[in-house]
Amino acid sequence: MKKIFAKRAAAALLAGTLALSVFTGCGDSKETGGNTGSELDPENPTKVTFYSYSLTYPSMKPGMEHLIQEFNDTVGKEKGVIVEGVPDANMSKYKSDIQAGQQVDIVQHGWNSLDDSKENMGIKAYEDVFPKDELEEHFSGMEQNAVKLGQIDGKTYGLAFTFSTPILYINGTLFEQAGLDPNDPPKTWDEVLAAAKQIKEKTGKDGFGLSPQNGWVTEGVIFSNGGSMLNSDRTKATFASKEGVEAISKWKEFFTSGVAALGTDSEVSQAFMAGNVGMHIQSTSLLSGILSSAEAGGWKVYGAAMPSFGEKTPAPVNSGSCLAVRPDSDLKAKAIWEFIKYVTGDEGYTIITSEIGYLPLRTYLADDEKYLKSFVDENPLVRVNIDQLKNVKPVTIWPAGTATECFTIFTDAITRSLTTDADVEETLKEAQSQIDKILAQQ
Amino acid sequence: MKTAAMTAPPGAVSHKKISLAKLKPYLFMLPAVALIGFWVYKPLCQTLGLAGYKWSMVPGTTPEFVGLQNFTKLFSNKDFWPAVKNTLFYTLGLLPFSIVLPLFIAAATQTVRGRAQKVYRALFFVPMIMAPVAVSVIFQWLLHPTNGLVNKLLIDLGIIEQGIAFFSNETFSRLMILLITGWKMIGFSTLMFSAAISGVNREYYESAKLDGASNIRQFFTITLPLLSPTVMLMVMMSVLFASQWTFAYIDVLSQGGPYGSSTNIYYMMYKFGFSDMNVGLSAAAAALFFIVFGLIALVMMRLSKKYAFYDN
Repeated sequence: MKKIFAKRAAAALLAGTLALSVFTGCGDSKETGGNTGSELDPENPTKVTFYSYSLTYPSMKPGMEHLIQEFNDTVGKEKGVIVEGVPDANMSKYKSDIQAGQQVDIVQHGWNSLDDSKENMGIKAYEDVFPKDELEEHFSGMEQNAVKLGQIDGKTYGLAFTFSTPILYINGTLFEQAGLDPNDPPKTWDEVLAAAKQIKEKTGKDGFGLSPQNGWVTEGVIFSNGGSMLNSDRTKATFASKEGVEAISKWKEFFTSGVAALGTDSEVSQAFMAGNVGMHIQSTSLLSGILSSAEAGGWKVYGAAMPSFGEKTPAPVNSGSCLAVRPDSDLKAKAIWEFIKYVTGDEGYTIITSEIGYLPLRTYLADDEKYLKSFVDENPLVRVNIDQLKNVKPVTIWPAGTATECFTIFTDAITRSLTTDADVEETLKEAQSQIDKILAQQ
Repeated sequence: MKTAAMTAPPGAVSHKKISLAKLKPYLFMLPAVALIGFWVYKPLCQTLGLAGYKWSMVPGTTPEFVGLQNFTKLFSNKDFWPAVKNTLFYTLGLLPFSIVLPLFIAAATQTVRGRAQKVYRALFFVPMIMAPVAVSVIFQWLLHPTNGLVNKLLIDLGIIEQGIAFFSNETFSRLMILLITGWKMIGFSTLMFSAAISGVNREYYESAKLDGASNIRQFFTITLPLLSPTVMLMVMMSVLFASQWTFAYIDVLSQGGPYGSSTNIYYMMYKFGFSDMNVGLSAAAAALFFIVFGLIALVMMRLSKKYAFYDN
């Protein structure tokens, strides 16, 4: 009896602990591939994870998948690296996966929170983990303005990867129906407003679409009017200046006169792609998606540079991403470097530009028959984007620890100013003082 | 083994054996208790502890003790009080969908017999088993400001002139999230109530009919009182889980916007923890609401004891 009981009790205990260990076991798995040496081995490839938000947008996904596949099939196969793309909507999965102790090697990272990730997410500087001579050679062919954007305190924490400026997309058919010439696009905000009113009046469709929650273009609107976001030592917000308020007030006229397409950024883009909006300011990263939906809908896409305020030179901000890396061994660093070299090299940018729509940060490719010349000739929109590159201002990098909070306050204030009766100046001033308080606590 | 145990002399029953026998039920409980302790109470204590720290949860970083700073930060966050109000809005707003409508649907379909009853119930239950994200995307299409079916219908009927951006509008954003959550909830509650009604003794209805009671009278004097335990249970579930059930729709459809007007406390906690990378703040909010909702649960259990009527 005793023995049976002891045995049963032991079995029950065993079952309990087994169940526990099974559950707790899930979190710890760390896959690094079978290679344990320090050199890459094609026979025993090293696995690298690449967290990419482009993989979550229907218009960018095929291009990004192709880019990863192409690497795996060529350089990856030859050198022994396998890159696994992980779709990361809203750029939040990489954070929670790092928190959970998962392997996160390369992150397609936004610009405005790079400082934050450097402090908190274990992002490594390129100079510290990759061979110096190769690094210099690789950077030299790239657009220097873009490379500098990812440098903090003289070190590269993010290498410019996908890069675009916002441009004014135009639905040619709606333009013509409204009696406008898509080949002579509006250049200033006043002209855009007039055209939008004409489109609404003649066609009944919304004239212009730029969502208040666009994530990045807003800063360019403020910069274009000579405004700024933060003071030079990043201790105070400055967007509620006279120029800032003026710029947002102009934008608000689209809403008050009822010619603006309403909704979130993706809703406005969907509306434009469905042929229901005359003009739309959006990143060129959506170019391939917009082109194909225009073709399906039977209308033609035209494009123009971001509108200006009167005679002032427009100052669009760059959107897009850089590549941030977190190698956990020398071997991993070597594997990651192979991927970085490929995707920001000649082949990489050819795929990125022609299949997704981002800028080739190796601008010489646009004139090279072997790479992008024929594509650029066919799509003059890409030229508009490349031309704007010289006016581009970097998107605001908020001080570490405050980025998400400050940016949310800013965006919420912009949304409230534009879409409600709230006074623009009052709303922005209030948001500015809230942000100042947070910055002062740092 | 068995034979060995069977052949043991009867005199072997000792003190030791008795104490072991006493221990036996506890040993059987041990796995369950250990699992609950590990999965429920350990995280709970950890959460309370984390509320005093500033930490990003990234492996290799150490939490920094900040005392009650997280709570002051929480109360001064611009979205905190709107989120509390919205939590209340979602909680109260969900009651008609989790109690009133299902109760009537269950009572009304009770007299339907055979296959028709199954079809009816299946129709109501299907929304419940659909994946929340898929549901969100479908509603996003339906409610699209310019391309959506709902706006087209409203414009064609002459009710509105310009499409409504449902998820960028302070009034509609919350309302739509509530309606979608409610639509999904109806099925579950209906099923619970139907099951409860099936358990009610048919003789009551027969004698009520003989006395000439109308259907409505039967519902209020027989069905409702006899269902009171189930109703109380569903009220409690609805109140305690309303915030969680709205989470997926907030995340996919409005991300708490416009300007934080549709967020609730659960979504806020998620944002603090996994977007702002401030687990301490998230834990502070969690601790606060653990206390508030704990109190609510206690009160409801008391009420349930007082008002629920059991037919023995």
